[in-house]
Amino acid sequence: MTDSGTRILLTGNHAVAWGARLARPKFMACYPITPQTPILEKLTDFQTAGKLDTEILTPESEHSAMAACISASLTGVRVFTATSCQGLLLMHEMLHYASGARAPIVMCNVNRTVASPWAFWPDQTDSLAQRDTGWIQFYSESGQESLDTVIQAFRIAEQVTNPVLINQDAFYISHALEPVDVPAQETVDQYLPPFQPEHFLDPKRGESLGNVVSQEMFCQHRKDISKAMERAISVAEESDAEWQRLVGRGYGIIEAYRCEDAELVITTMGSMCGTVRHAVDEMRSRGRAVGLLKVRLFRPFPVDALREALAGIPDVLVLDRNCSPGTGGVLHQELKGALYGLADAPRIHGYLAGVGGVNVPPGKIEEFVDQVQQSEPAIHSVWAG
Amino acid sequence: MNKPVPAIWTTQTTEVVRTGSWRLALPEYVNPPAPCHNACPVDGNIAVWIRHIENRNFRDAWLTLIDNNPFPAVTGRICHRPCESPCNRGQLDEPLAIRNLERFIGDTALEEDWSFPEAPVSKEEQIAIVGGGPAGLAATFHLRRLGYAVTLIESQPELGGVLRYGIPRYRLPKSILDGEIQRILKLGVNVRTNTRISTQPDFEKLRSEFAAVYIATGATVPKRLSQLDYSQPWVIESASYLEQTNAGANPQSGARIVVIGGGSAAMDVARTARRLGKEVTVLALETEPLMPAQRDEVLEAKDEGITLIDGAMLQSIADHPQQGLELTCVKAEFAAGAERGEFSVTPVPATDFTVNADTIVPAIGQDPDISGLQDLLETEDALVRINERQQTSCDGFFAGGDLVATQRFVTVAFGSGKLAATEIDRFLQSGAPTRDLLPQPEVSIDVINTSYHPRVSRAEPQLVPSNERQAVFDEVELGLSVDEVLAEAQRCFSCGNCTFCDNCFYFCPDMAITREGNGYSVDGDFCKGCGLCVSECPTGSIIMRQETQ
Repeated sequence: MTDSGTRILLTGNHAVAWGARLARPKFMACYPITPQTPILEKLTDFQTAGKLDTEILTPESEHSAMAACISASLTGVRVFTATSCQGLLLMHEMLHYASGARAPIVMCNVNRTVASPWAFWPDQTDSLAQRDTGWIQFYSESGQESLDTVIQAFRIAEQVTNPVLINQDAFYISHALEPVDVPAQETVDQYLPPFQPEHFLDPKRGESLGNVVSQEMFCQHRKDISKAMERAISVAEESDAEWQRLVGRGYGIIEAYRCEDAELVITTMGSMCGTVRHAVDEMRSRGRAVGLLKVRLFRPFPVDALREALAGIPDVLVLDRNCSPGTGGVLHQELKGALYGLADAPRIHGYLAGVGGVNVPPGKIEEFVDQVQQSEPAIHSVWAG
Repeated sequence: MNKPVPAIWTTQTTEVVRTGSWRLALPEYVNPPAPCHNACPVDGNIAVWIRHIENRNFRDAWLTLIDNNPFPAVTGRICHRPCESPCNRGQLDEPLAIRNLERFIGDTALEEDWSFPEAPVSKEEQIAIVGGGPAGLAATFHLRRLGYAVTLIESQPELGGVLRYGIPRYRLPKSILDGEIQRILKLGVNVRTNTRISTQPDFEKLRSEFAAVYIATGATVPKRLSQLDYSQPWVIESASYLEQTNAGANPQSGARIVVIGGGSAAMDVARTARRLGKEVTVLALETEPLMPAQRDEVLEAKDEGITLIDGAMLQSIADHPQQGLELTCVKAEFAAGAERGEFSVTPVPATDFTVNADTIVPAIGQDPDISGLQDLLETEDALVRINERQQTSCDGFFAGGDLVATQRFVTVAFGSGKLAATEIDRFLQSGAPTRDLLPQPEVSIDVINTSYHPRVSRAEPQLVPSNERQAVFDEVELGLSVDEVLAEAQRCFSCGNCTFCDNCFYFCPDMAITREGNGYSVDGDFCKGCGLCVSECPTGSIIMRQETQ
């Protein structure tokens, strides 16, 4: 580890802004929305202070913001943006367009309840509803991880030419202050070379993008995107490892925490991982064989890594801070699919916990463990508070 | 190392996708008339010559102008500019200053001494034109261009009619008029001035000598006010007043002049009298906004110190030997009728007032002198009756200008002369082209993409300050500078007239449009009928034509 960065007290949002600043994006189009706005504000502060050489556009909506980001990205410059819940949903059409256009945009989404009714609490339904848009998705456990992931995300996005969405939970992360190690600019520059795509829009180049294509060409294009997504898993692993080599911090695409000989593993994403991590420590101290499996990379879904990590574990409890009405917890559903056919597959219990931002303290998690160990798993997700 | 190009990028062509099969409508390049064009009495291709100005191609602008009007320096000053009020630009900011642009081109042509293209006599038939005013001169020009030998007969010593004897030189300098008339005469015209054709035998004799006769003797007989005793020495007819002052004379009059009338002639008399040092009052039947004079004439007259009493009529006059005339007037409700020139007047009770004066100049309009024509051809309400081919009821006689119309505008007379030339040609040559009489729908603001036309205010010409104009007959309105003219030309929407801006070419998502010769062509294999070209056209020159499968 050679980095000589500084440690400062930052909210998750400001940590994201720092990550974006260090990545030196040339363009951002952003529309303010609670609880994301401090990211945009901090970045405009950086720009005004001359610390960030970028063009910031504030269009009239998130749809236009993403449209502008796509256009800018296709001219061959690095692009960052941020949004939350309704804004992300308004972008939905453009999210598909961005991945289809192979625009390696990096965006931070602050997970917030989706209206209606109106609320501002942490809930991951907004970003999980974008799982089929072709964006790589990360879920972050802390401000530090968000900062590091923004920097990693550009490296991944630009290698596989797919856009990346980094999700952090509203308030638990976005507004919580914690000490954050901010790496040195030289470290980031060393890690993240200037963006120089092979293809980009320029009237002088005689290349165009997004023309009408035949059925065969469209099909080929979808294959290309899928291949790039498959490759994103190894690129994400390599990028994380390289980051760890440089600054000493790495997260993996999934993280198995105290899962050795575990009788039960709790699987979840985002800020809930921190709570579970604490609960696991408590339970382990009392001799209960419980572990945490954190899913950091959600798209592409790291099926092989998950199968390897969970093979032979008797019980898995999935905590979903989201709800897809009609099917239940999205991670629960995905994990069942991922483990299907595994010879020594665990029994999978799906709990809808913390939906709408409901607090899930460590004690509650231990109660869940008690319940799980006394019952057969239900096929469907279970409401657990 | 040639890496495969990702499918999303197109580095060669999109010819593989024949999007034309999706289409329900195909764009079509059209050339509908601009509102200014439809309103122009000489059918001028205004957008076309303004486009030439924008390209600094002043000579081509002039050549386009003279196709329809050999007097751009004259109309550039005194046209009543019916083209400007319907200008689509007026709905964005202000109408284009078309008249001032025309003046610039007209003046440039005179300064550069440009001649009309030569017009050799190519046809056997000879034409006689009676009346050397606007209609007669315009007809002369256009008939000469069509290859006819023309004999132009004028009763006055000089050509020009109302342009020379009616309109004062502070509005139309004589050098400008002479320049544009001489240029017509240089085409080769047999001119007979001081020759009055007024009796039926005169006309019949002409008809026997010429293949066709065009009568454009104007309106020379003053209308009369019943309240006024025209035998009194203190009454001077406006035509006579202007004829004298235009010849440089100072008519015998008292210090206080009352001009009766609200039209251009009334303004001309009033402002001329003011320049001769008189105290001038204009008594107009109409209220100020309804006065038939051009608005700027009225404003300039008031600036020059002329008293305007509007919405009032003369009732009686008392002649006091010492104090002069006392005019008893009354306020009146004026209501315009359905036809131009028709109106009704209702005096408002108990609004009598008096005005003192030494001389009265009535200027309430003039009628044609049809005394020598009445037994030769059909007349109606003091006008000669013509059909849509400009023919009178008597074979071989055509008529135009003020003789046939109540629209007493110089430019209307120019247009009338042009039309007559075309119709005389048709009359004499069976194969001559016919006019398209079906009016095309004109371009509306709705089809102009105004995003391409930033708001810019209209160029306004400088006026000589009113205190410097009162004693001199110098021109009041100054021309625009070259820079002002170029900037003003850029304001033109070029309604219905493609400017070859290439927007359609660049915006077509299927690259179905190609530049071709003097325009564009649409490739039906690829045009999917989206209409982007139409919405991005800044001039309204493309429409979508529905296709039936």
